[in-house]
Amino acid sequence: MEAFVTRDPVPGATRAPSIVLEDVRLTLASAAGAVNILNGVTLAVEPGEAVALLGPSGSGKSSLLMVAAGLEAPTAGRVSVAGRSLSGLSEDALARFRREHVGIVFQSFHLVPTMTALENVAVPLELLRRPDAFARAEAALGSVGLVHRLDHYPGQLSGGEQQRVALARAIVHEPEVLFADEPTGNLDGATGAGIIELLFSLRARAHATLFLVTHEEVLATRCDRILRMKDGLIVAEERTK
Amino acid sequence: MSSLTLAIRFARRELRSGLSGFRIFLAALTLGVAAIAGVGSLGEAFLTGLSEQGRTLLGGDIRLQRLYQPATETERKFMTDYGAVSESATLRSMASAGNDPAKRTLVELRSIDAAYPLIGQAVLAPALDLKAALGCDAQGCGAVVEDALMARLGVKPGDAIRIGDSDFVVRARIVTEPDRVAGGFTLGPRVLISSEGLSRAKLITPGSLLNYSYRVAFASETTTPEQFRAALAAAFPDAVWEINDRTNAIPRVTRFVEQATMFLTLVGLTALVVAGVGAGQAVEAFLQRRRATIATLKAMGAEGHDIFLIYLLQIMAVAAVGLVLGLAMGAALPFAVEHFFGEQIPAPAHYAVYPGPLVLAAAFGTLAALGFAILPLARAREIAPAGLFRDLVAPSSRHGRWPYRIAAFAAFGSIAALSILLSPYPLFNLGFLGGSFAVLLALRLIATALRHLLTRMPRRKSQLLRLALANLTRPGTPTASIIVALGLGLTLLATVALIQASVEAQVEDQLPSRAPSFFFVDIQENQIDAFTRLVSGFPTAADFNATPMLRGRIVKLNGVPVADARIATDSRWAVDGDRAVTYSTTRPKDARVVEGPSWWPADYRGPSLVSFSRDLARGMGLKIGDTMTVNIIGRDIDLRIFNLRDIDFRTGGMNFVLMASPGVVDTAPHTFLSTVRTAPAQEEAMFAAVSKDFPNVTVVRVKEALAQVGELLAALARGIAIASLVTILAGVLVLAGAIASGHRARLYDAVVLKVLGATRGRLGIIYAIEYGLLGALAGLAALIAGTLAAWGIAYFVLDIPLVFAGRAVAFTIAGGALGTLILGLSGGFAAMAAKPAARLRNP
Repeated sequence: MEAFVTRDPVPGATRAPSIVLEDVRLTLASAAGAVNILNGVTLAVEPGEAVALLGPSGSGKSSLLMVAAGLEAPTAGRVSVAGRSLSGLSEDALARFRREHVGIVFQSFHLVPTMTALENVAVPLELLRRPDAFARAEAALGSVGLVHRLDHYPGQLSGGEQQRVALARAIVHEPEVLFADEPTGNLDGATGAGIIELLFSLRARAHATLFLVTHEEVLATRCDRILRMKDGLIVAEERTK
Repeated sequence: MSSLTLAIRFARRELRSGLSGFRIFLAALTLGVAAIAGVGSLGEAFLTGLSEQGRTLLGGDIRLQRLYQPATETERKFMTDYGAVSESATLRSMASAGNDPAKRTLVELRSIDAAYPLIGQAVLAPALDLKAALGCDAQGCGAVVEDALMARLGVKPGDAIRIGDSDFVVRARIVTEPDRVAGGFTLGPRVLISSEGLSRAKLITPGSLLNYSYRVAFASETTTPEQFRAALAAAFPDAVWEINDRTNAIPRVTRFVEQATMFLTLVGLTALVVAGVGAGQAVEAFLQRRRATIATLKAMGAEGHDIFLIYLLQIMAVAAVGLVLGLAMGAALPFAVEHFFGEQIPAPAHYAVYPGPLVLAAAFGTLAALGFAILPLARAREIAPAGLFRDLVAPSSRHGRWPYRIAAFAAFGSIAALSILLSPYPLFNLGFLGGSFAVLLALRLIATALRHLLTRMPRRKSQLLRLALANLTRPGTPTASIIVALGLGLTLLATVALIQASVEAQVEDQLPSRAPSFFFVDIQENQIDAFTRLVSGFPTAADFNATPMLRGRIVKLNGVPVADARIATDSRWAVDGDRAVTYSTTRPKDARVVEGPSWWPADYRGPSLVSFSRDLARGMGLKIGDTMTVNIIGRDIDLRIFNLRDIDFRTGGMNFVLMASPGVVDTAPHTFLSTVRTAPAQEEAMFAAVSKDFPNVTVVRVKEALAQVGELLAALARGIAIASLVTILAGVLVLAGAIASGHRARLYDAVVLKVLGATRGRLGIIYAIEYGLLGALAGLAALIAGTLAAWGIAYFVLDIPLVFAGRAVAFTIAGGALGTLILGLSGGFAAMAAKPAARLRNP
């Protein structure tokens, strides 16, 4: 199948793209043999742009997000995020890159169960050795409406509240790029809608680039651009605005 | 903020949730550390007690002993110049009551002078004064005796017993003989008499095995045993004394305590290593449960070393709790022993807290915790944050990075190095650790082979068997680790059982066919013909043998004093005390000459020659033609080595390491030693006849001596078996840990099977097959490894054939299977009882 690639999504743009992927391929080994996950993806996302990645299960959406967020090294191709090439970076260098430039929201929240809401949100700042980690974390929790839940553990919070804590954690260190993987996937409709509102308003306030993986068309239309994936390739692109 | 501060902060947060995931880790470390700390503390308590009470145990500041010859007047004068002196003489003799020949028994006779005891107090029942109790009057002299003699002869205070040519009145029972522990191994009950009583008994004949000892209590506190020794050596350069002083009153007990402590420490170390396998599994399971957290922290930007440090701190914090608990238990052991067994322990002990063994145990515990934690932590460091998004398609690295693997190896290496370098017997430690490592390796290979075999077995028709086998062979199952951990303790038990069976078989089956029934000691030269006629005249008497016997001490090798000669450790015993010496014109029929000419001519009368033990010659660096100087009754005799013999000490007969040519040796006063074999039915008659005609002859029944040796062996085997229980307990902890870490998966399986219609009974049968099989496999692996180890010990160390004992086989396999079955079923009970609906609602 001929891949639909976005080579120059914002014609005439002067600033360097926030995310650049060039012919990215990902193959994973398994007991049953090698599995091709990404088959040559090329794309560029501008600073401040919100991009939605749509596609059926198994199309490679989450894997693409992992590669772009520096969570997984591609088998081939080049990845550049926030003006830094991720190619050839060690595991630890990638970790340093993530804590400085990236925020991530997961479908399953992935809060640390042994830490309170405040401590969970403070983690990225603590890893950055910021002395005001807790003050800023408290402010971030205030911005998601959870100032009354600072000392609660994840197990004592509802699903929606947990995802709001995760959102606060993703933006507390003011990352340049915000990655979100099906952020409403584990929530009911109303709660999910609330989270999306929060996600977009926080992202707008921080002027962060948003890279959103979803399977909800309605949610995708809130982004500037929609990329459709199938069999490890971007097969279509449409601008919403 | 440094990485360490950050790691401490994160670790503290995680530890807030409690230590529930660390129970097995904690128990394993506590057990191992407690075993090492306890054994070390107890050993130190005994060694300190022995050292502190050396003067009391010895009965003076210094003790001089010599066979045959009492101290000369000048020697005695030398001693009294230093302080008070007490003389005593010991010998084995026979005591009888009335005319009943059955009431005659071997006793350890000791004569004491009026000065005895210089230190301490002899306690008698009834409470008489010792000097008064031993006093002589018209009826005879007094004697005080041990309980055992009264029971054996059926006498009570006031009754008479006969020893040698004299009657003695039993005046009291010995409750405490203050220097008894320093007296050595005894074959019969103790009888104390006065010096006058000994001379009246007429037991002092030329060549009698009388051991004279002199205790000196220094008058001046500034006198040291070293000063005394140096002055004695200068004043009497040719005198041969066996000397002990208060600083090491009972070297053999001190040596025994040191060796027992070392052996038990090694068993403790083995337990720590086995427990460490459990601890390692617990760490692995803990980190498995933290995979999502680790991946999340990494996604947030935590680096690999941050993760390593955060979890290392947590594990070491828990290890610290285990160390403190183990050290507390270990430090308390001496006090527990004092409380429960204090009065039954004959050796003195100073029960206290000893920091040395605790520091050592803490070091071993810390290194073991580090060693077993580093590898799982190194693997956790490599957990990819991508794991948050999918079940891992690609398996993560099975091994951590090289530096971590080297660090783990260094931790284990340090344990071995510490154990070897700090031991008084480094070679033994090296051998034990090497042996344990070999057994561990063998168990691992056997376990892997067994698992491989199960995996390759054809598909079973029985669903129960199939499911049970699947539980044992599915990927990630700890079957091999459990077999190794449980197997090590069982291996130790199987080895001990097999060695014990082999030694027993040697004693019970092989010895009686060759061993004599009696040893007759102290037959005078003028009695030997009559004695020979009497004993060989018995219808069933066989293998009668009568040999002249003297005792002498090897003092020089090729002119070099033994103190300065290079002598291998395993040959030292031959120069440490008096050895039996005989002479013979012809080669005795059971003498196996292996090097040199067969024997000297029957009419040889030249310079003294000797036929010596080949093994000892090797240990002393001697060859044919070399000279050894032997001191016999105060006289140095040079003996040139004529030939070398192989001596088999297992035959139970007469085994003289020194057999000299006649000419010089036979001119020294000596007695005869005789052995004879007779039908069991005639033993009593022979005993009675010899007792009647030769009252001075001491009779040792081989049967009784063997029974004593048998009891000693059984006690030793019991001790080792108890020690190996610690290792088994460690193995059980590993099993418990594996059951606990697999609990969630088992619960899930059980719920699914129940949903599909499996009953609790059916699940129970599956678990019973699974754990029964697992235990039997551990038992089988242990049996194979134990047989190999026992064979090695029997063949190379004991030089006896290995006897394969069915009891040991059955016990090892059945014990392993039953224990594992019980533990497994108790662990599986929760899974059997799980309600599917509840679990499906809250997975």
